[in-house]
Amino acid sequence: MTGDAKVSDASATMNFRRRDAADKLRGRTRYTIDRYLPGMLHAAILRAGVPSGRIARLDITKAARMPGVRAVVTAADAPGMIGIGIADHPLFARDVIRYDGEPIAAIAADTLMQAHAALAAIDVEIEPLPVVLTMADALAPDAPLVHPDWRNYEVLLEGGVRGGNIAWEATVVRGDVDAAFARSDVEIIDSSFRVGRQNHVAFEPRAVVASYEDGRFHIETSTQVPWTIRNATARLLGVPASRVRVTVPPVGGGFGLKFDLAIEPFAALLARASGRPVRLVNSREEEMLTCLFRENAEIRIRSAVTRDGEIVGREAVVLMDCGAYGGEQIFLTTMTAHTLGGNYSLGAVRLVSRAVYTNTAPNGAFRACNGVYNTFALERHTDEVAARIGMDPLAFRRRNVLGDGDLGATGQVFEGDVLGPMLDRMDTMRDAAATPPGCDDGRLYGRATVVGTWFVFVGPSAATVNMNADGTATLVTSGVEIGSGSMMQALPQIVAGTLGLSPHDVIVRAADTDAAGYDVGVGGGRTTVSLGAASLSAAHEVRTKLLKVASEMIEAAAEDLVMRSGRIEIAGAPGSGRLISEVAARAQAQIGPISGTGAFTGAGMPAMPGCVAGHFIDAIDIPVFAVHDCEVAVDTETGHVEVLSYRVVQDVGRALNPRAIHGQIQGGVVQGLGYALHEEVTIGSNGRVRQNGFETYRVPLALDVVPVEINLYEGAPSIGPLGTKGAGEVPILNVAAAVACAVANAIGKPILELPLTPPRVLELLLDQRPTLSLPHIAEAWTNNLLRPHKTDGSN
Amino acid sequence: MGLSLTVNGDHLTSTADPITPLVDVLREEFHLTGAKPVCREGFCGACMVLIDGNPTPSCLMPAALAEGCDIRTVEGLAVNGGLNPIQAALEACDAVQCGMCFPGMVVSLTHLLTTRPGATRDDIRAALTGNICRCTGYERIIEAALLALATT
Repeated sequence: MTGDAKVSDASATMNFRRRDAADKLRGRTRYTIDRYLPGMLHAAILRAGVPSGRIARLDITKAARMPGVRAVVTAADAPGMIGIGIADHPLFARDVIRYDGEPIAAIAADTLMQAHAALAAIDVEIEPLPVVLTMADALAPDAPLVHPDWRNYEVLLEGGVRGGNIAWEATVVRGDVDAAFARSDVEIIDSSFRVGRQNHVAFEPRAVVASYEDGRFHIETSTQVPWTIRNATARLLGVPASRVRVTVPPVGGGFGLKFDLAIEPFAALLARASGRPVRLVNSREEEMLTCLFRENAEIRIRSAVTRDGEIVGREAVVLMDCGAYGGEQIFLTTMTAHTLGGNYSLGAVRLVSRAVYTNTAPNGAFRACNGVYNTFALERHTDEVAARIGMDPLAFRRRNVLGDGDLGATGQVFEGDVLGPMLDRMDTMRDAAATPPGCDDGRLYGRATVVGTWFVFVGPSAATVNMNADGTATLVTSGVEIGSGSMMQALPQIVAGTLGLSPHDVIVRAADTDAAGYDVGVGGGRTTVSLGAASLSAAHEVRTKLLKVASEMIEAAAEDLVMRSGRIEIAGAPGSGRLISEVAARAQAQIGPISGTGAFTGAGMPAMPGCVAGHFIDAIDIPVFAVHDCEVAVDTETGHVEVLSYRVVQDVGRALNPRAIHGQIQGGVVQGLGYALHEEVTIGSNGRVRQNGFETYRVPLALDVVPVEINLYEGAPSIGPLGTKGAGEVPILNVAAAVACAVANAIGKPILELPLTPPRVLELLLDQRPTLSLPHIAEAWTNNLLRPHKTDGSN
Repeated sequence: MGLSLTVNGDHLTSTADPITPLVDVLREEFHLTGAKPVCREGFCGACMVLIDGNPTPSCLMPAALAEGCDIRTVEGLAVNGGLNPIQAALEACDAVQCGMCFPGMVVSLTHLLTTRPGATRDDIRAALTGNICRCTGYERIIEAALLALATT
């Protein structure tokens, strides 16, 4: 479904203000944490205090008799298992504890204090089991297995190789890499990188209010994925998915954290057991310790490059820590092909991504997921390549960036020259800028320009548009407003543009799985694209029906009519015709109320046969490119990095609401600055996350940031509605890469690890940082695979 | 025996334990859910209220200590359900994203606007040190504050 030339550009493209701002500014918006129902109970979860152990005894009888307690639930109440690719994750620990913080039991009581008192009365005894806390531990030859029964799990997607502590392995092989590396005319460049975990710190914690009425669960929750909550809750509880209704109030920040099931099933079980509504809200400490973080990762890249700058061969190993359960990292093994394997035209290539089990809190999705660290690694490696062959890093990039007709890592053919012109655009921006002041203050100065490749996570979406007789339209989808504004701005703009209405006259229904059709969720840059395409299609159906009725009323052919400014008129004759409300009212009386439905899913871009194994997406339907430029100053006495300027050229396809996109870019870049410079989650030797609150986990403050200079690159090909691409996810993609390359240029040392905290930078300046060594990544690429790459087999 | 609190000009009584954080009394007893208990450590500023005119994190203040004070929450900043100058500027600048931090931002910036009409860009950035925003990257908020300062 693509745009129709008749759609009014004027009303689809505008800096339309968001309608939810005034109430958010007055404290009136009721997020999930603000919902208090009559008779509501308060719930709390008993969590394991060790990273690995066997539950020797669990007795809830005393807790159940504590004052105010209305229900206690345990693993016995949740028989199912969930996961992505493999069903490896129960709701409660069953016999075995796999991470510090894993749920053991949940209690609902009249007050939260009573619930906590009752948790303390649960009699639980845990016998310690061997622990693997790091990927190096997990990959050791005699490592204890986090999931000794991994062979028995239900496989939900065939093709991924698994074994021992390798939850999932995905590979890409295109061309003869050995031959490329054996050429006599190439330099071989070998780089290793390591990054830590990042916490989203969404301001609204995971929160849910559940009730159980007429044999069905009603879950009100702070999520990005209402249909995932519906289906996964049902699977864990062993009930039909149709018995679960999910509605979503405004969400107080997601960033990918809420792209998976969280605490919803606990509240659902307790509501069914007690017959009362149950409120369950994670404390900030629970949010910090069990976050579904952006995963820590370890990366090795080797490239064979000719002296005139052709990349004839590339190979890489990417280790991604999934924590105790596979979750999102299983899927994200796919993305290495499109991020680390992106940006540049490659001769031969082979990549392996391995999701590794450890006895740590499960990781999850975070804005531009694995792209952020793979782009950091790729761009730093690219600078090392350019340095080795003595080529200017920008000239090297310009020579090699993906262009029209180039092959991606998986053999997909890219369409259009996008990154090249975007680099030109960045040159213009940089040249026009004033030189930052004060380069003689003793600090070291550096700059870098880096590129990035990301994608839109398309997939199924549904929409209904109901035309009301008063001339307004109601848009019904499962889309959630998480803060990005897509549901408040782009979607009503698309419907309004199609129907000639003001976006103010498009009512947007909040997500309700009983009211709207299936949707993958709000994330992956897909809201404007997938929900937008479904909404556009639904609005087109309404438009066609209205024009048919209007054609009789106005006595003109439907193809001669236009819809604009709330009227249906004969083209070229402003003021002719009728009000849309008149036509809608006539239609309602004559043939019944008018509505339209729309649906969308991905186009299924092909990869080259035989290239990929264990992938969830073989090629990307909508690539999204970004060019970032950063200038830094490094204090040689303290190791402090100051970002002096930041510039972004972002491929947006078409900007429906430029001002909203600018807001996403400023916000995404600042989240990336936090990741690059100071945000890091670490795990103590006891297996517990060390950062348990805002005091120990530092996010960027107003004093840390700079205004980002922004240029939106429009016109790149896209199957998105009206030529759009997702614009909210990608701004964080290249930030760590840009900062790291700039700091490396400033201090003249390779940057191999993030974040660049002052102590770490100081160690580099003083040559005291130990060399990064990743002995658990085998020297020969093929020795990192559980079995040789092949694309036909199952486990 | 209860607590007597003056909130947005209303005289209210609470039966809460005197050491209950003020934010919980406001939200759970008085249904003023604008203040958000995000970190409960006094770092994020999302629960900021004015106590006798001074921005104060309501998560760290025992409710009993607020007795006899003039407590003003984000719900009480604008008259007749309108927007005060900083709220209007934040709306005009399209600054709001998820919105969770904004009740606290509005309280802090309302105070800045009334006490430091000559504040500069750097003054505003410094004044926001106790208010964290995870969505916006702050720039629009700073712009809005400058706009409000210029137009009031």
